[in-house]
Amino acid sequence: MLAFSNSPPPPEEKIKQKSGNESYLALVWRRLKRSWTGMGGLTLVVLLLLMAIFAEFIAPLDPKATDTGFAPPQVISFHDKDGNFVLQPRVYALAETSDLDPVTFQPIVGPDYDHPRLLGLFVKGDPYHLFGLIPGNRHLFGATDGGPVHFLGTDKFGRDVLSRAIYGSRISLMIALTVVAIVTVVGTAVGMISGYFGGTLDAWIQRFVEVVLAFPQLPLYLALTSLIPVTAPTNVFLAFVIVVMSALGWAQMSREVRGKTLALARIDYVRAAMAVGATDRRIILQHIFPNVMSHVIVTVTLAIPSVVLLESFLGFLGFAVKPPLISWGLMLQDTSTYSVIGSYPWILTPVAFVLVTVFAFNALGDGLRDAIDPY
Amino acid sequence: MALALVNSFAPDRRLDAANKTAAPVIDARNIAVKFKVEDGMVDAVKDITFQLYRGETIAIVGESGSGKSVTARTVMGLLTKRAVVSNRSAVHYDGKNVLKFSERARRQLRGDRISMIFQEPMSSLNPIYTIGSQIVEAIRVHRKVSRRDAEKRALDLLKQVQIPDPEARLKQYPHQLSGGQRQRVMIAMALANDPDVLIADEPTTALDVTVQAQILNLIRNLQKQLGMAVILITHDLTVVRQFSDYVYVMQHGEMREHNTTEALFANPQHPYTQHLLTSEPRGQAKPLPPNCDTILEGKSVKVAFMLRHGSFFKPDMRELVAVDSLNIELRRHETLGLVGESGSGKTTFGQALLRLMDTDGGEIFFDGQPIHGRSRAEMRPLRSRMQIVFQDPFSSLNPRMTIGQIICEGLIVNNLGSNKAERLERVKEALVSAGMPSNILSRFPHEFSGGQRQRIAIARAIALEPEFILLDEPTSALDLSVQAQIIDLLRKLQDEKGLSYLFISHDLKVVRALCHRVIVMQHGKIMEQGPVEEVLSHPKTAYTERLVRAAFEVAS
Repeated sequence: MLAFSNSPPPPEEKIKQKSGNESYLALVWRRLKRSWTGMGGLTLVVLLLLMAIFAEFIAPLDPKATDTGFAPPQVISFHDKDGNFVLQPRVYALAETSDLDPVTFQPIVGPDYDHPRLLGLFVKGDPYHLFGLIPGNRHLFGATDGGPVHFLGTDKFGRDVLSRAIYGSRISLMIALTVVAIVTVVGTAVGMISGYFGGTLDAWIQRFVEVVLAFPQLPLYLALTSLIPVTAPTNVFLAFVIVVMSALGWAQMSREVRGKTLALARIDYVRAAMAVGATDRRIILQHIFPNVMSHVIVTVTLAIPSVVLLESFLGFLGFAVKPPLISWGLMLQDTSTYSVIGSYPWILTPVAFVLVTVFAFNALGDGLRDAIDPY
Repeated sequence: MALALVNSFAPDRRLDAANKTAAPVIDARNIAVKFKVEDGMVDAVKDITFQLYRGETIAIVGESGSGKSVTARTVMGLLTKRAVVSNRSAVHYDGKNVLKFSERARRQLRGDRISMIFQEPMSSLNPIYTIGSQIVEAIRVHRKVSRRDAEKRALDLLKQVQIPDPEARLKQYPHQLSGGQRQRVMIAMALANDPDVLIADEPTTALDVTVQAQILNLIRNLQKQLGMAVILITHDLTVVRQFSDYVYVMQHGEMREHNTTEALFANPQHPYTQHLLTSEPRGQAKPLPPNCDTILEGKSVKVAFMLRHGSFFKPDMRELVAVDSLNIELRRHETLGLVGESGSGKTTFGQALLRLMDTDGGEIFFDGQPIHGRSRAEMRPLRSRMQIVFQDPFSSLNPRMTIGQIICEGLIVNNLGSNKAERLERVKEALVSAGMPSNILSRFPHEFSGGQRQRIAIARAIALEPEFILLDEPTSALDLSVQAQIIDLLRKLQDEKGLSYLFISHDLKVVRALCHRVIVMQHGKIMEQGPVEEVLSHPKTAYTERLVRAAFEVAS
């Protein structure tokens, strides 16, 4: 009866030796490396995070120090007075020259070639406390004499725009990461519970989610943030903004996780776990959570830029961050008058920071989306 | 001498036998296809040569991964972008090499002179267009005819493929048709422009056994009427035997053997073909030891689902009875088959007996203890004694867990084994019993083939040392030769460990090889039951007879 036991064993049953036991992370990393947008996004994200963390060191100036208001950006030059190329970059301050305009007899404003300010890396400058603790006065780049150089010009109070933008990334990214962290934890937990247990519980949770999603969000932000007194300390105000953003953001995440969980809860390996007698807790943590995670990670990377955008938008309207804190949105508040934009366009540069951030996280999210399900 | 036949084409003998005109419709030479993968190139098809003559059916047989579908898709020009066709390859249709055609010229050929039908009729039709408009589109892409003429032609085609009530079907959407009817629509679309060649890629694999015979007969009749040549791609040797004139056997992208169907089945030359032919499930269950006590008993078990019809505001709740008051009794050491077409309620019944699904009535006893109405927590002490193996080994293993974690889970949950080392020992033991090496504990499921995964799933079940295992179509997702190995394994485990099986299947061949008794189900009711030989050789109901005929003869 076992006639076929004599036949040659089919080669299919040989076990692949070479792929070995690559861990999940190694697989994801290998696939992410193949997508250049994903890697570009990852690089930018890492740079942005480093910039935010070491803002004191990277920013050339103290963001609160004032100088001439609305000073234009100073251009880095590699030429000396006679137009010869020199290796060390320098800036020339604008000054009235001794020449007079032949028509108006006004002194002509031009670069002051006689007093070049040499630029260098790791220069001494404004003193600071890194992370508020470690004292230091070295900056990544700046003028070798320690004086102010405004690569992106100054705002109306004469504060350095570049330094403020670098410091601003700290608050902007902090808000984005905190909000997304809260949204992820709450959204994933609610979504998994709702999708796994189903039935009446699911129905009630989903109705509640719908209520949250149906709120007109913008007026709600404005209303909620105006609830808090103007005199409240800035950190309280910031915390409140984060809570409001999270309260309105978790619903979407929970919807997506619930959908994923619904499909997973009926898959054979979950039934197999029930058949060996696993508890609900074990099934959710061991079987559903790891498989939902890939989706969640992608959603997180795509949710961060949307919070950055929201912050810049609310900040522009003056509802997100209050001075003396610095954020990109708050910096953009200065651009609200036409005459300012027309005359001093450089104060729009925080927009570029927002753009780069949004692009970086989106590119990373897209790369991860392809890489994260290697099976 | 025997191997000299392999790869040497014998046109004379074949032409004499079939009495064909000399030129083949399709003359494929040295087809070689590689796929770009992460680390280099993988050979999918290496040097395949075949000929197809007018009015003939050739079968390309092979197990999954043998490259048979890739070969067909090369002929159609439907390969993915990652595929690289070798320069030496040539597919001559009508004397011209179509592989050298532009994409535009190939598109004109495709669906016009050469048509293809696919395995999955559920996904090959666009759900948002009516049947009629999809057939009309297939006609009007290639022919300049008015919409009305095309519609008339569509109706003729539907009549030709023998769909009941063809006028009404034209206006219907794919979801309103059954799987068999959809496959008929696919055939109608493929025939829309009177093709010379029809390529059928596993046309019946997704269909019920009884429908399978009808579809294959339809293809054969149409072939005779229209004088087409047919390439039948399949893994099912019964189908090959009944429906093809000439057979090509493929393995690992290479041609192992080809011959006329009769000669190949009578006298297989290549060891792989011999192996395939002997892989058909055979043998039968060992007789039961006397006086076995009952391990599982169900008394008038009922499972019903509430279906919602009508509008949102005026819901019309209807009850669908999936399992209608069934009685079942399974003894120790016994294998009981549960057969029926899809939708007959056999899986629901099986899971209800294990209390993986709630019942709406009836009593279930496991080893004398009542288990109906027990909650999941109350069931837990019994869980290690009853286990389940699922049909699809790809969805039954968690992709994020290692093999060790997967098998060990049941031991941890049930507090079996006093410490980690002891559990590990049991996991290894289970793997070895299931015919797998014990050094794969830190691997992930995706590194294994379907058959290996099914062994791992079996290892998970037997690691708990159960007394009873529910086998829910454990072999139907597997290749024939792997299927034979799994059946062997199940037999061996039953012998060694005295297991009882409830074996759910639609494949009566496997049931005959493995089961002592069989229950035939239809629409949630038991049609017939008894010792397996008796039921299969003397079916009492027409339904059982149809199932038996479909399994052992295909042609009805």
